[in-house]
Amino acid sequence: MPVTRINIGPVHPSTHGVIRLEVDLDGDTIVDVEPHIGFLHRGVEKLVETRMYMQCPPYMEKLDYVAPMAFNEAYVSAVEAAMGIEVKERAQYLRTMLLELQRIASHLFGIGTLCNDLGQMFTVFMWAFKDRDIVLDLLQEAAGSRMFYVNMRLGGLNQDIGPEFHGHAMKVMDYMERRIGEYEDYIEKNPIFMERMRGVGVLSAEQAKNLGVTGPVLRASGVNFDARKNNPYYIYSKLNFNPKVLTSGDNFARYKVKMLEMRESIRIVRSVLESLPGGDALGMPVKLRSPNPANRIATSSRELPRGEVFMYLVADPQKPYRLSIRSPNFINLAALRHMSKGARMADLFAIMGSLDLVMGGVDR
Amino acid sequence: MPEENVDYSSEEFANAKREMDSLVYESLKGREMKPNALFARMADLAKAMPLSKDIVKWSRSNSVWPLQFGLACCAIELMDFGSARIDAERKGFLLFRSTPRQCDVMVIAGWVTKSMVPEIKRLYEQMLSPKYVIAFGECATCGGPWWESYNIVKGIDEVLPVDVYVAGCPPRPENLFGALMKLQKKIGGVVEG
Repeated sequence: MPVTRINIGPVHPSTHGVIRLEVDLDGDTIVDVEPHIGFLHRGVEKLVETRMYMQCPPYMEKLDYVAPMAFNEAYVSAVEAAMGIEVKERAQYLRTMLLELQRIASHLFGIGTLCNDLGQMFTVFMWAFKDRDIVLDLLQEAAGSRMFYVNMRLGGLNQDIGPEFHGHAMKVMDYMERRIGEYEDYIEKNPIFMERMRGVGVLSAEQAKNLGVTGPVLRASGVNFDARKNNPYYIYSKLNFNPKVLTSGDNFARYKVKMLEMRESIRIVRSVLESLPGGDALGMPVKLRSPNPANRIATSSRELPRGEVFMYLVADPQKPYRLSIRSPNFINLAALRHMSKGARMADLFAIMGSLDLVMGGVDR
Repeated sequence: MPEENVDYSSEEFANAKREMDSLVYESLKGREMKPNALFARMADLAKAMPLSKDIVKWSRSNSVWPLQFGLACCAIELMDFGSARIDAERKGFLLFRSTPRQCDVMVIAGWVTKSMVPEIKRLYEQMLSPKYVIAFGECATCGGPWWESYNIVKGIDEVLPVDVYVAGCPPRPENLFGALMKLQKKIGGVVEG
């Protein structure tokens, strides 16, 4: 049968952003998928070269607009490494907690849109966005904004949490734990969902390692790698948590890893709140004139909700000379071609949804 | 509705009504006129019928259907706008449609790159008149933080006519609600109170 070439996008309801896919089909079976990116390219890495160090965080947050705080934190920690600044102990705890809250919000978004892509499961989308709003309210209380926080300062945070935060957070965590059980009940008892997720879009451990994918995609393929565990930062080495690893490498595993990670994040948030030390959490105020860097080259590696980000910063006295970003979204997109070969055309968006890409991080 | 302005006994009104009836009948019966031409003629006729014009406006402003089209960060807030907390459907902003041919309003949510301009233009041209554009967020309004970037259009109004601008980076979903109500006022036919 001759190969048919179909063009999808750049505007398509299920592509999670603007990306163009060229799909080669043999009947209904995918022979090859070629992603064309660049529809959101705005030259972040070049722009930050003209900005002072602490003018850059707003640009960093827009790289991954579903988990902005996590990306920003990776950048700020690279600057801190360059300046030789220690993060205050209380700020370390708070940052850990905020990052985990951000992970919950991000995974909720991923699961909601995945179920939306599968069609007929709009309920989960509505639930996930409602619950995400509740987590965002908590983040707003702690960081001062709803979506783009810009709350990281050199050595700490822009504000400490209020006295009521502990109670609110515990309440939300109890609620979220109950809700995640409801999600699992609702989603995994749906035979259509299971049929479309089990055994579809398989990525073997070998392929995953060769492609360099990270995050839930890698862990769903059976490779136990988590930057929080393998390259611990802040208080993750003190915390008792385990990266969630599944072996099947299919869509369902990628979904399930996110569910398990949310439960783990809830546990981390609880234990951080219980062991929160006193003291000061505020960082340096933002000044246009930044302190001179101690190191010319600084790096930071962080586990984002979507995978590992690596920031490579070459520091000049006033502003970054060069900032190179390894974005997990871009690397994970490379796996799409390998995962969807041999799958049905209709499964392509289930696979895209399970990858949980954010195009802002792909194009940069 | 200003019923006192309608002269029901005029020749013009009677003719328009007669032709409208026949067009409706024809559209039900067969394909003698192409749908676009049919709707265009109907819209012309509605101008001669002040009362029905108000009804058209009223129904238009209370069923603004958006295009399911997001570019970047603000699209996340746009999705939130359609979800449970804000519940845009209660103001008629229902059903994110995947095809531009069924849509009334296009929310530009996110930064517009030069490579996206032809695509956005094409989508806009595919929408049926009357069509509206909301520039949602700083990037769509003026380029936002990417003002100095080499690949960014400094505001969607360089490409499309914009009806409502919303400031913020990103604006909260509630702001989009306000923009929608402004748009409804602009379309007209909104019953106050």
